[in-house]
Amino acid sequence: MLTSRVISPSFLPLPPTASTSSSSFSSLRTILSPFLAKTQLSYTRTSRMALSLTARAAANKLENADELIDSVETFIFDCDGVIWKGDKLIEGVPETLDMLRSKGKRLVFVTNNSTKSRKQYGKKFETLGLSVNEEEIFASSFAAAAYLQSIDFPKDKKVYVIGEDGILKELELAGFQYLGGPTDGDKKIELKPGFLMEHDHNVGAVVVGFDRYFNYYKIQYGTLCIRENPGCLFIATNRDAVTHLTDAQEWAGGGSMVGAIRGSTQKEPLVVGKPSTFMMDYLSNKFGISKSQICMVGDRLDTDILFGQNGGCKTLLVLSGVTSLETLQSPDNSIQPDFYTSKIADFLSLKAATV
Amino acid sequence: MTNGGREALTPQAARSLVDSVDVFIFDCDGVIWKGDKLIEGVSEALHTLRSLGKKFVFLTNNSRKSRKQYAKKFSKLGMEINEDEIFTSSFAAAMYLKLNNFPTDKKVYVVGEEGIKEELKLVGYESIGGPEDGKKSIQLESSFFFDHDKSVGAVVVGLDQHFNYYKLQYANLCIRENPGCLFIATNRDSTGNLTSLQEWPGAGCMVSAVSCSVQKEPVVVGKPSTFLMDFLLERFRIDVSRMCMVGDRLDTDILFGHNAGCKTLLVLSGTLYQIIQWPAQLALAGVTTLPALLDPSNSIHPDSYANDMSHFVQLLSQ
Repeated sequence: MLTSRVISPSFLPLPPTASTSSSSFSSLRTILSPFLAKTQLSYTRTSRMALSLTARAAANKLENADELIDSVETFIFDCDGVIWKGDKLIEGVPETLDMLRSKGKRLVFVTNNSTKSRKQYGKKFETLGLSVNEEEIFASSFAAAAYLQSIDFPKDKKVYVIGEDGILKELELAGFQYLGGPTDGDKKIELKPGFLMEHDHNVGAVVVGFDRYFNYYKIQYGTLCIRENPGCLFIATNRDAVTHLTDAQEWAGGGSMVGAIRGSTQKEPLVVGKPSTFMMDYLSNKFGISKSQICMVGDRLDTDILFGQNGGCKTLLVLSGVTSLETLQSPDNSIQPDFYTSKIADFLSLKAATV
Repeated sequence: MTNGGREALTPQAARSLVDSVDVFIFDCDGVIWKGDKLIEGVSEALHTLRSLGKKFVFLTNNSRKSRKQYAKKFSKLGMEINEDEIFTSSFAAAMYLKLNNFPTDKKVYVVGEEGIKEELKLVGYESIGGPEDGKKSIQLESSFFFDHDKSVGAVVVGLDQHFNYYKLQYANLCIRENPGCLFIATNRDSTGNLTSLQEWPGAGCMVSAVSCSVQKEPVVVGKPSTFLMDFLLERFRIDVSRMCMVGDRLDTDILFGHNAGCKTLLVLSGTLYQIIQWPAQLALAGVTTLPALLDPSNSIHPDSYANDMSHFVQLLSQ
């Protein structure tokens, strides 16, 4: 009688904040040293640090909204599940944002969605009737370009993009040359005898994000660049497992494309989107604000809340998106925000209740 | 006797190996052939081993073809190998379902190529997906709803050169939403010698993509899982120590040998004639190079190693 003895190999896809062995980290450092200033290496480290060693107390239901509002100077909002769902605005959002602005609070919008550029997101906000400045929006597409700028990525090197238009637009704005993107989605390969796939040896970075045109050609092109071009960077806009492309259901997220490239290169990427603190550091530098003066508001524990915690700011989970109260309170969940509430419009209703 | 794999195979060790082994298990890509080209000296080497009374089987993680299709490939390359001497990860996936009593009224969604579909059909399972879904794309208007077959009870993921978002999302929905849906990976090789001139992304990419979106680990049926070893033991009815796995990858072939308890011989023909040699640590991700084998960070050691099959057999008469 045959029995199956199945043993899985030791390679597992790592969650964004799992720590990795020091030997792979040091090899990453050697490979990246031509382009990385010492300080920039912290983005790989913090984005992969294991969650804080001190156990956090369970999240408190938000009761005194005023107290929270008065204690911070800036609110960072995630978009999907907090401001909108698909193409629909969540109830009470415009009034809430107006109230916060009238109280002199700075508002910033940070999304892991890399399919649009800041300008394109600005248009989405406008269409939904919200007055938000492009300068207040930070998408992971922007983060990738900003990261390359922060490390003085040479302008004579190219970037290979496995991702969508948003990334291409932001790279262009920042003055970087790129290859790939949506048009490579039409390229096919034939594994015929004698076939050799060529790649541009001048590619110094591969940026991977959500890509609905993902295919085998792109996987091989990205892999060849990372393996064969000395010092080539592997940058991920984000590693979300699922994303809300439509409001009716969940869709496989950018984490899948990043997973595929990790699969072929067995290298860890530099993550610029949440929960990596890159965008938080960028914002606090740009606006001159200290982290303790910030409150991160999001609907996802493993990206938004972890981002806030890694960054050292206050955190508020809203239940208007992907996370339910049950998930928050489940014994399997170890990420506890400071507060939780049903939606951001509660700032208005809870405020009224305490008057 | 193992010498830790840090020394190349010597004539004496080669003779001792051959004396202590009745069955050789050969990997294919990088050992027997590269793409569609037979590696030099392989036919003669196999001939020599057969004349010494040795038996062999071929164990490949490449799921693109079925056993029957591989037998045809061997034949085209001038070697007459019977289909039941060939064990593929596509066969392994079908067998795994059969042995676990997967119901025939449930369907299998395939993120992979013809080989998987054929093997599933041979054991009586209906599969959807496969190469044709490579032509499908998604529309993202806000009203669009991606539907999926609720009777899919298993998703099998293997090497797929027609991989795309449609298949990824289909697999994602089946695994997340169909109660009890199995997630099976034929293998997780990061790369492979799919053509003679360079390495190509392996099943490891497709499997990782699906695994990252469903946030679950698959059951792996190909090397280094020992699932297929049970079939070999059943076939030959000898002690596992009298078998030797010959392969070109540490993290699949040699690890399989360690897990199963048989002897192991690494050949370097997977990378020996490669034009580009990666730095040792990056090379650990792909087919094994000599620097990668000898690098201090490598923890998987074969009993010994040789340049290729021809070299191994030449040592016997030195």
